[in-house]
Amino acid sequence: MAVQPSHSDRRELVRERAFTAAGLTAAIALVTTIVLFLVQLFVTSRASRAAFGLPFLWRSEWNPVTEQFGALPMVVGTLITGFGALLISTPFALGIAIFLADYAGKKVAEPVKYLIGLLGGLPSVIFGLWGLFVLVPLVSKFEVWFGKLVGSESLVASGTTGVGLLAAILLLAIMILPFSASLILESLLVVPTELKEGALALGATKWDTIQNVELPYVRRSTVGALVLSLGRALGETMAVTMVIGNGMRLPHSLFDPANTLASAIANQFLEATSPVYIASLVQLALILFVIAIIINIVARIILRRGVQQ
Amino acid sequence: MTLRKLKNSFMGALVAASALLLIAVLVVIMWHIFISGVKYLNWDFFTKAPAPMGEGGGGVFNAIVGTFLITLVAAAIGTPFGMFAGIYVAEHRSQRFADIVRLCADALQGVPSIVIGIFGYTFLVARFRSYSALSASIALAFMFVPTTARVTEEVLNLVPSGLKEAAYALGARRSSVVWNVSIKTAAAGITSGLLTSMARIAGETAPLLFTAFGSRYIEWNMLRPMSALPLQIYIYASSPYPALQQQAWSAAFVLVLLILLLQYGAKHLIARVLRVKA
Repeated sequence: MAVQPSHSDRRELVRERAFTAAGLTAAIALVTTIVLFLVQLFVTSRASRAAFGLPFLWRSEWNPVTEQFGALPMVVGTLITGFGALLISTPFALGIAIFLADYAGKKVAEPVKYLIGLLGGLPSVIFGLWGLFVLVPLVSKFEVWFGKLVGSESLVASGTTGVGLLAAILLLAIMILPFSASLILESLLVVPTELKEGALALGATKWDTIQNVELPYVRRSTVGALVLSLGRALGETMAVTMVIGNGMRLPHSLFDPANTLASAIANQFLEATSPVYIASLVQLALILFVIAIIINIVARIILRRGVQQ
Repeated sequence: MTLRKLKNSFMGALVAASALLLIAVLVVIMWHIFISGVKYLNWDFFTKAPAPMGEGGGGVFNAIVGTFLITLVAAAIGTPFGMFAGIYVAEHRSQRFADIVRLCADALQGVPSIVIGIFGYTFLVARFRSYSALSASIALAFMFVPTTARVTEEVLNLVPSGLKEAAYALGARRSSVVWNVSIKTAAAGITSGLLTSMARIAGETAPLLFTAFGSRYIEWNMLRPMSALPLQIYIYASSPYPALQQQAWSAAFVLVLLILLLQYGAKHLIARVLRVKA
C-alpha cells in the first residue's frame, strides 16, 4: 500500500536534510579553522623565513633598525615566565583544590568556588592594569631592597622600574591559579569515596588519606591540568604585555625587561612597517599557535586517559 | 601517633591558608578597581566621547557602544556555528569524527588571543585594507565558536535520553527531536552558555588591537574603526597622563561590572535549569 508522500512530509524531509547539513558544515568548519589559521599564518610569514630560514628560532638578535630578527629572546622570555608562574602557583592550586574537595563543607566550598570563577573570569587587561599600577611599584621596591642586600649597584640603578620578568611571572601566577585550581578540583572530586573511606577505616588521618590515596589516584589528571595551565600562561597576552617592559635583548636576570612571544607581537605589531618586520612578528604568532595547539591536545589526551583509568 | 596528627592539622591549616590567600588576592584586586574606579565616575563618563587631547573631562561612551556592538555581532556570527557544531558532536557521540571535532574545539579554546588578533589582521584587515569593527567581531567569533560548541554539547548531554527515545518512538525525525525536545529542554542551559561565552569575549583586548584599532569618536558603523572598553583601558593605562590613567580605572570598573552582570545572568539561568531537573 504505497502512499504518496504528502506535502508536509516532503517539507519535513527537506528540513531533516538541511539540519544534517548544517550540523556537518559547522563541525567541518570548526576543524578547518585550525588548518585555516596554520595556512594563513604560514603564508603571511614567508618573508621572514626567506630572510632568516630556520635559524630564526635560535638567533638572539631582535633589531628592528637593522632588520635582523631572531626569536630566541622571546622564546626564552615565554619559557621563563610560563614555567616560573607554574612553579609558583602549583602548590597553591593544589592546596586550594584539596581544601575544597576534602576540608571545606558545602557552605564554605560553594562561595569559594564562586570567587575562584570570578577571579578566573576577569579579563587579562584588568590584571594588566592592576599589575602595572599596584604590583609593579611593589616589585620595584623589592628590587631596590634586593639590590642593596646583595650590594649590586647596577641592580639598584637599572632595575628600579619594576617592569620585567619578575612582575610578569607573579602576575601570571595569579592569573593561572583559579584555572589550575578548578581543574585539579574536578579530578579530585571523582576519587571514589570507597577508597577514601577504606583508608580512613584503617586508621589513617585525613592527610594520610590525601597523601597516599587521593593524590596518587589523580596524579595523571593533575599533570594534564598543569600542562593546560602552562599553555594558558605561555599564550597570555595583555597582562604580560603591560608589565614585562618590551625588552628586545636576551634577559640576564629576573629583573630585566623582556618579551614573550605574545607580548612582542602586542607591543610591536602596530609599529612594524617593513615587510620583514611584520612577517617576523607573524612568524612569532605561528610559533605560538603551534605550541598552543600541541600543548592543548597533549593535555586533553592526558586528561582523558586520567578519567578512563 | 602525635606526629601524624600534628602533620594532619598542619597540612589542614596550610591548604586552608592557600584558599584564604586566593580570596585575599581577589579582594585586593576588586578593591583597587572599585576604589580607583568609582572615584572618577560621573555622568559625562558614560555619555560623552573622549575629550580632545589636553582638555579635561570626557568619557568612554564610544567604548561602551563599541563593546556592545562588537560583542553582539561576534555572538550573532558565532552562535549558529557553535550551536550546530555542538549539536553535531552530541548527536554523533560515538563516532570518530565527532571526537576529532571535540578535540579541535578544545584546542581552539587554548589558542592565545594575540594569535587570533594577528590572524584577524592578516586574514581580514590586510585583505580589505581597512581596520574595522566587523573584522574584530569575526576575530572574536573564532573564540566564541569553540566555547559555545562545547557548552552546547555538554548541556545536550544532560537531556534525559528517555525524553528523546519517547519522541523517536512517536516517529519523529532526528531534526524535530533535536529541535523540539533536546533544544527546548536545554534552552536555558544553552543561553547560559552563550552568556558565559559573551562575558569572555567582551573582556578580550588582544584580538581587537589590530582589527577594531580604536577610535576617539562615537562610531556606529561596523565597517569603520571602533573603540571598545578593554582597548580603551589598555591605551589609557599605557599613556603617561594621570587623567587618562584614572579613566582607565573607571573604564575597568565599568567593564568588570558588565562582565559580572553577564556571568550573574548565566548563573541564574543555570540555577533554574538545575532546579527544574530536581
